[in-house]
Amino acid sequence: MRNTWLIIKREYLERVRTRSFVVLTLLLPAIMTGVMVLPAKLATIGNKIQHIVVVTSTPEFGETVRQGLLSTTPDTDSEDDEANSGTNDAKTTNERYIIDVDSSPTEAERTLLREKIIAQSIDGYLWVTDDAIASGKIAWASRSLSGFGEKSRLSEKLNRVIQYTRLSKNGVTPDQADLLLKPVEVDAIRIEGGRETKDSGGKKFLEVVVMVTLIYMAVLLYGISVMRSVLEEKNTRILEVLLSSASSTELMTGKILGVGAVGLTQILVWVVMAGAFAIPSLAMQTDLGDLKVSPEVLAAFAVFFFLGYLLYSTIYAAIGAISTTEQEGQQLQFFVVIPLVLSVFMLTAVVRTPDSPTVVWMSMVPFFAPLVMYARIVIQTPPLWQIALSLFLLIATIIGILILCARIYRIGILIYGKRPTLPEILKWLKYAKA
Amino acid sequence: MIMAPPQVPTAPPPRPALNPNAAATIELQGVCKSYDKFVAVDNLSLAISPGKIYGLLGPNGAGKTSTLRMMIGIIVPDSGHVSIFGEPLERAHMDRVGYLPEERGLYKKMKVLDHLVFLAQLKGLSAHEASTRARSWCERFELTSWTGKKVEELSKGMQQKVQFIGAVLHDPDLIIMDEPFSGLDPANAVALKDAVLELAKNGKTILLSTHRMDQAERLCQSIYLINHGRAVLEGDLNQIKARYGCCNVQIKYEGDAGFLQNTSLVQSFNDYGNYVEARLAPGADAQELLKLASAGARINKFELMEPSLEEIFMEAVSKTHA
Repeated sequence: MRNTWLIIKREYLERVRTRSFVVLTLLLPAIMTGVMVLPAKLATIGNKIQHIVVVTSTPEFGETVRQGLLSTTPDTDSEDDEANSGTNDAKTTNERYIIDVDSSPTEAERTLLREKIIAQSIDGYLWVTDDAIASGKIAWASRSLSGFGEKSRLSEKLNRVIQYTRLSKNGVTPDQADLLLKPVEVDAIRIEGGRETKDSGGKKFLEVVVMVTLIYMAVLLYGISVMRSVLEEKNTRILEVLLSSASSTELMTGKILGVGAVGLTQILVWVVMAGAFAIPSLAMQTDLGDLKVSPEVLAAFAVFFFLGYLLYSTIYAAIGAISTTEQEGQQLQFFVVIPLVLSVFMLTAVVRTPDSPTVVWMSMVPFFAPLVMYARIVIQTPPLWQIALSLFLLIATIIGILILCARIYRIGILIYGKRPTLPEILKWLKYAKA
Repeated sequence: MIMAPPQVPTAPPPRPALNPNAAATIELQGVCKSYDKFVAVDNLSLAISPGKIYGLLGPNGAGKTSTLRMMIGIIVPDSGHVSIFGEPLERAHMDRVGYLPEERGLYKKMKVLDHLVFLAQLKGLSAHEASTRARSWCERFELTSWTGKKVEELSKGMQQKVQFIGAVLHDPDLIIMDEPFSGLDPANAVALKDAVLELAKNGKTILLSTHRMDQAERLCQSIYLINHGRAVLEGDLNQIKARYGCCNVQIKYEGDAGFLQNTSLVQSFNDYGNYVEARLAPGADAQELLKLASAGARINKFELMEPSLEEIFMEAVSKTHA
């Protein structure tokens, strides 16, 4: 116990104190922020005020279209648009356009407008003549093939204007038209343990994706560290000195937990940093309550993340124990990557049919359990015995691999030269008894 | 000097019965270890009593390292029994044992002092105590200005010294060293030798394995000579030398060396003209040879040579082959 603790401490402090750890811890969030914020920033730069000419057959209709385009009525669809463009401020809608009405739909006018666009005195024109409406094809001409957002925003607002116009032509009053055109919304309600929660599928998916990303990141960044550190001890031959003081199981446990703690520290720093940045902007949103994750899911996340991380780190340690160089170790990485990738593939099945026999049994297999069982818990809480069995198998597997790996590791002092074959490893395990 | 010829053994002397009392610092009884089909250690028994410097000698591949590794529990014997400080070997005993493996290894990125403290803490020392002792040892080995440096910045010789300090920092009762002098320059080798002698003077038991007979000869009080995993010679070095030290005679003479030609006293000789090295036949009395020689020539010097450990080793090994 004393030794395990000392080894954890050494692994942890030696790593956390390195410059590369500090740099990576601080730099990665900066890069991530850059990756996420920059495109949004760039998108808002593009969102300058658009000067548009609306060409209609009559000035009155032109005015109706103008009003329609400038309207700020936030209906459900346009909300999505704003989220896409990265602006939270609903008021920008009516500041987005300067609209002139032009009621002389001639070819000459069209040519003139085209020249104005080229001369950059206007950004574009909308050809909304009666003929165009009748044919159902309205032209939007601008310098650039305007973004997806711009086009859908325009067509959606125009549709509304034109639907109202058509209805009123047929004697429908504006009130009736409102009633007719009022959209409906589908609310997904999840019934679970006598409670009803209004979780959206998207949010659940997000919870699973966060888990997948974190596990992947942690495993790939730190699992490899475990492998490297095992290899380092074998190659520097310090192993023999350590083995004269501590058992190989103590060494292995200490190493995996120590390096693991480094990874957790880093992730914790990132989470805190992300929180510090995200909470102020989240607080502005009214539907903050929707983002709350239930404590059960949070607990499941913590448990399965930790165990998954341990499992894959232990496999990495085993890879380190049977390899002689890092290159060899990297060739064996598929032992870690394949279960991870397969788990990700299985997630589709989990989302679709969380209680199908295949999914249930897959969530019992320790190599898939961290992701698959967690996803099941998020989507639809499985029976308790299944969670318990899955956890039991997972922990037993971790301990099993750890013990096996400690033995191979001890025998590592006898390894020189090329990587041993499987029969050789089995033979060594025999020497390493007790 | 002229010595009375003792009885010349024709075979390795019978192994003395293992001391059954618990006084032995470490004791192997009938230990065997084989890897696959290769037998590394074959029914080896030895007992090391406290406060002495022992040498575990043998050619490369004799099973020295395997033997040492079994003594500290890194590998487990296939059969036989290892006991230490009078008890069956357990990991807890390792706090009282210092081990310097043949393959030196340190964490390259760690600072020297931190590294030493870590090694000593693994042996149960407090961080503070470890740090104090490490500083004084570093001072002794002229490493003081390097304690804050990373191990990788040190020369190989300095790393060796750090490794040695790491093995003795916890003041172990038993120190096991595998080829401790390999790779050290003469000055550092002397510093290490002095440290080893001082430890022995302070009552520590020291077991060092080496294939360098000259070093063992100068340092060790007792030796175990092993070959092919078996003990071929063991005991107090002086006694062994006395047993073997009778067969070589160095004669400086003037005149006729014919006295060497037709006598059953000499097994073989090497004549340099006025100087001859002769090997006495088994059971021959050197005094008889002296009489014979002085009868035919003028003898300026007649010396019974003490054989070097290397010669003893060669002879013992060749006998086991026969």
